[in-house]
Amino acid sequence: MAEVQYKDASRIYPGTDEPAVNKLNIDIPDGELLVLVGPSGSGKSTALRMLAGLETVNQGAVYIGGTDVTLKPPQDRDIAMVFQNYALYPSMTVGENMGFALKQAKVPKDERAKRVQEAARILDLEEYLDRKPKNLSGGQRQRVAMGRAIVRQPQVFLMDEPLSNLDAKLRVQTRTELSDLQARLGVTTVYVTHDQVEAMTMGDRVAVLNFGVLQQVDAPKTLYSKPANKFVAGFIGSPAMNLFDAESIDGRPAIGGVAAPISDSVAGQLGRVDGAAIGVRPEHLKLASSGIQGEVTVIEELGSESFVHVAIQHMGERTTIVVRDEGETETTRGQNVHVDFDGPIHVFDADGERVD
Amino acid sequence: MSAVTVDQLNDGGRQSAEDQARAAELKRLERRDGWRRRIPILPALIYTILVTQIPFLFTLFYSLTDWRIDTPDPRQFIWFENYGSLSGDTFFLDSAWVSVQMTVMAVLGSLIVGTGLAILLDRKFFGQGFVRTLLITPFLVMPVVAGLMWKLQMFNSTFGIIGWVMNQLGLEPVEFATRFPLASVVVVLIWQWSPFMMLIVLAGLQGQDQSVLEAARVDGATSWGTFRQITLPQLRPFLELGTLLGAIYLIQVYDHIEVIVGGQPGARNLPFYIAGRSIGGGNRFGLSSAYSIVVVLASIIIANIGLRVLSNLLEDDS
Repeated sequence: MAEVQYKDASRIYPGTDEPAVNKLNIDIPDGELLVLVGPSGSGKSTALRMLAGLETVNQGAVYIGGTDVTLKPPQDRDIAMVFQNYALYPSMTVGENMGFALKQAKVPKDERAKRVQEAARILDLEEYLDRKPKNLSGGQRQRVAMGRAIVRQPQVFLMDEPLSNLDAKLRVQTRTELSDLQARLGVTTVYVTHDQVEAMTMGDRVAVLNFGVLQQVDAPKTLYSKPANKFVAGFIGSPAMNLFDAESIDGRPAIGGVAAPISDSVAGQLGRVDGAAIGVRPEHLKLASSGIQGEVTVIEELGSESFVHVAIQHMGERTTIVVRDEGETETTRGQNVHVDFDGPIHVFDADGERVD
Repeated sequence: MSAVTVDQLNDGGRQSAEDQARAAELKRLERRDGWRRRIPILPALIYTILVTQIPFLFTLFYSLTDWRIDTPDPRQFIWFENYGSLSGDTFFLDSAWVSVQMTVMAVLGSLIVGTGLAILLDRKFFGQGFVRTLLITPFLVMPVVAGLMWKLQMFNSTFGIIGWVMNQLGLEPVEFATRFPLASVVVVLIWQWSPFMMLIVLAGLQGQDQSVLEAARVDGATSWGTFRQITLPQLRPFLELGTLLGAIYLIQVYDHIEVIVGGQPGARNLPFYIAGRSIGGGNRFGLSSAYSIVVVLASIIIANIGLRVLSNLLEDDS
């Protein structure tokens, strides 16, 4: 077990100028589950593969347990990796798959068998040890891939979208099992996903990447309540935050002709409203008797809550704002409503950075 | 009450008649579908029967006669006498042994060289396509031409390249084709068949899942370990295919032997010997037919054994 550090680590693919990962700096303390999240092409998988040694680090360095491993090959880094397609060895049985790394490390046969048994017990794979991967279901294969990692008792687990090939129900179930397993084993884990719900529910901390640049790394709660910039604000949260270019009313940022109730200090720091952006999460808006005027276009009824899409006029254009309403709402499509602010408001300056 | 029952019975009868008609119609459609699939391959099938199976039956018939083209006697039916003379024919047995050695060495040799080349080619480098084309060329050379090239330009002790190199090294040049006839032929066969094996193995290598190889690296396997434990088992069907096809073709080699060593005893395989017994001057068509039949059967058996042995070799490495 060990802490992991990225220090100004960059990866530039041959034949390109734009770095796939640009000066990444993250400190991951021992035992933490850090999730790397971002849209496709954001460099999250590349960052993970740099840590694994499967991708060259062109500039900067990566450390595992305080040792600089930048130039070490994967086999000398004491890491275990779970791949998106599991990458099980097709010609070997489940047991041989799980014991492969130990065999390479010349661990004696009975010790090997014991550790494979132990891992198989944890993952409920005991009856499948003699099967070949092709005779397993997707969920079982996923568990074998996990088993192959935990048998090794490595310093760090690396997981590259390990749940993306499972169906929705199994994914949610495996998600909690995996979090629980990681917490019990206490092994530092770097977990890559494009699914922000997975990131929020699993990560001790979440690092958001976009175009190879780290946007913010924080606990899920902080990421949600204090997004560092416009990108994070729009990426984290489902349904997404309502983000608008701010219009100016009496020098204050406003949406649909209604000034947002922000503190004087925020307004003071922001200064010019021109080019700024304003964001409100659906649950921090309410349908009220006064406020932004609009017409209901869609109602997403989820039972416990509902999301009401309201068409409003903002800066001379028709756009949609999403408002959370109570479950089994009585609001109807086509109804004329007013939307009012009911909670924190996020303000971003002309560079897209958060103003607090 | 009873009326209803009769009615129901009638209804049931009508339904079963309808069911039967339906079943018959379904069967008819199925049969028509079967023919629609069969008809397109019929010409090829008939052609194959005409050019392979019918001659084979003729050969089978000749093998039971004492037909010689140089005697005026009508050919007589002598049953299995030709087959009986096989065991006493030491030339036949010698040739059979040469055939086995030649085929095994050439197949294994080209498989090893071909696999090596395939591994070298299975990576990106500048001029990859050009190099691959160059490496395939030996396979495209006509067997007779290949034989002549090696005989005159490589093996020849006076003009040959090998002789020249040995001369430069201060060694006495050797007339290879005469001194080591079997080895000389095998070398040429390996040279010519390695590209074929290379192509087959390359297809196998490129079908590999890259992340499996990466997983092996992360799991601490060395390059050799990865190859032996992950790649080789996955290549198995491709190696088997190469062995089977290679053995089928190489057991029939004739041209190389004719050109390079001209039928010296040490390198005279079965096709060469049988040809010599019939059209090559022996004119003993009945006997040669019998020998041919034996060779066909032996080829099938040897190819099968070869395949089994290779499969077992690759099956288990623990």
